[in-house]
Amino acid sequence: MFEITVCVGSSCHLKGAYEVIKEFERVLSVYGLEDRVKLKAGFCLGRCGEGVTVKVGENYYSSISPKDVANLVEGIKNNILKDDVICK
Amino acid sequence: MKVFTEVFAKSLNKKGEELCGDSVEVVQSEDSIIAVMTDGLGSGVKANILSTLTVRIASTMLKEKASIEEVVRTIANTLPVCRVRKLAYSTFSILEISDDGKGKLFEFDNPPAIYIRNGKVIEMPRREFYVEEKRIYECDFMALPGDRIFLVSDGIIHAGVGGLLNLGWLWENVAEYLERMVRKRYSVAEMVERLIETSEHLYFGAPGDDATVVGVGVRNAELVTLLVGPPEDKSKDKEVVQKLLESSGKKVVCGGTTANIVSRETRREIVTKLEYADPSIPPTAQIEGIDLVTEGLITLTRCLEKLRSLANADNFTIPLLRDIKRKKDGASLLVDILINQATHVNFMVGKAVNPAHEKDFFIEISGDKVKVVEEIARILKKWGKRVNVEYY
Repeated sequence: MFEITVCVGSSCHLKGAYEVIKEFERVLSVYGLEDRVKLKAGFCLGRCGEGVTVKVGENYYSSISPKDVANLVEGIKNNILKDDVICK
Repeated sequence: MKVFTEVFAKSLNKKGEELCGDSVEVVQSEDSIIAVMTDGLGSGVKANILSTLTVRIASTMLKEKASIEEVVRTIANTLPVCRVRKLAYSTFSILEISDDGKGKLFEFDNPPAIYIRNGKVIEMPRREFYVEEKRIYECDFMALPGDRIFLVSDGIIHAGVGGLLNLGWLWENVAEYLERMVRKRYSVAEMVERLIETSEHLYFGAPGDDATVVGVGVRNAELVTLLVGPPEDKSKDKEVVQKLLESSGKKVVCGGTTANIVSRETRREIVTKLEYADPSIPPTAQIEGIDLVTEGLITLTRCLEKLRSLANADNFTIPLLRDIKRKKDGASLLVDILINQATHVNFMVGKAVNPAHEKDFFIEISGDKVKVVEEIARILKKWGKRVNVEYY
């Protein structure tokens, strides 16, 4: 299962973590990925000065706003599809 | 046996008066809590000065272990004499309950205190004695967890006199009303609030006298330890987490980084909730063995706001109290623990500052952590909570 962790610490909260989470929930359901991607909240990912931080798999992305979410999910989807092809 | 005493007080001002002629003061000594309620002669500024002076003298002297005779003598010799009535006068009720449950009550010209045990009003055996020609009633008692004691000024007993009720609300009626509320499992704070509200209704919203209720609840002691923020010196992480885990009562962790430290030191996973009970407050998390894990500054600031509106004498607080019991956001859960559960509160405040928090926008909305905690501590003390703040 693929994991996305959105930081909800103080700084990220103030910079709009709530909206980012809501957007992830919306986009993941649009792409039909709810069963393959686990969306989680995280307590302080340690990048407080850099805007909302999101951990996708093992990679960190900072300064994420709701408009970046679709792109990130698109990337995740391609990754998952690639895995599927290799598995087959 | 150790008991704990909490005190909630509220007043109504006589119609048209900005100042209340009744005063209440609650002081903590080393091993006891003292609540003093006074009712100054007349109303407005004059009554306010008389009652404030009396309440201050009594609470300060008793805290320093002065005898009741000395206190009464000092009050009698200090109060300014009213030009109209050629009198220096203020009533008082003084209630002291020690941590071992020993209680003492002194009353001078106030309505007798109402003592409720097991849902029933019980009689308090009073002795009388005289100091400076003032007749004072004295009563010794042993307080048990669950007991509730109410000091009321005559403005409560006389509510509705000559208007809605011919003789006003009598002592017996007030006592019965309080009994009924205890049986309905109202908290002390709610009972004080209800009694004041009902008195105001009996006066048709225009009180003919200042009216005051002091509600005192006796409970078993319950400790809550809160770890707020990481220690300034990282090498102390282990020590503070150890101390938190070894504390005997409930445990609370406030702060994202702090929660990470607790998780690291205990090797227990943090599970952060994705659901927002309130979008303006970051969600809470769970760590095994910790009763509540919240984000730091935003949650604490919101907690302080809630405590402030509860402490504000002008607010009608029952809806707020209900709200706090019902809501599941971090700030409401924290307030519930602090006011409804804790009797003793120990704040362990780590002074490390998150560099990202120093940016201006953060200071604007939250101020700094130490100030927020100190203000929370100040308000909790007003209700009789035993609060200790230590820094790391």
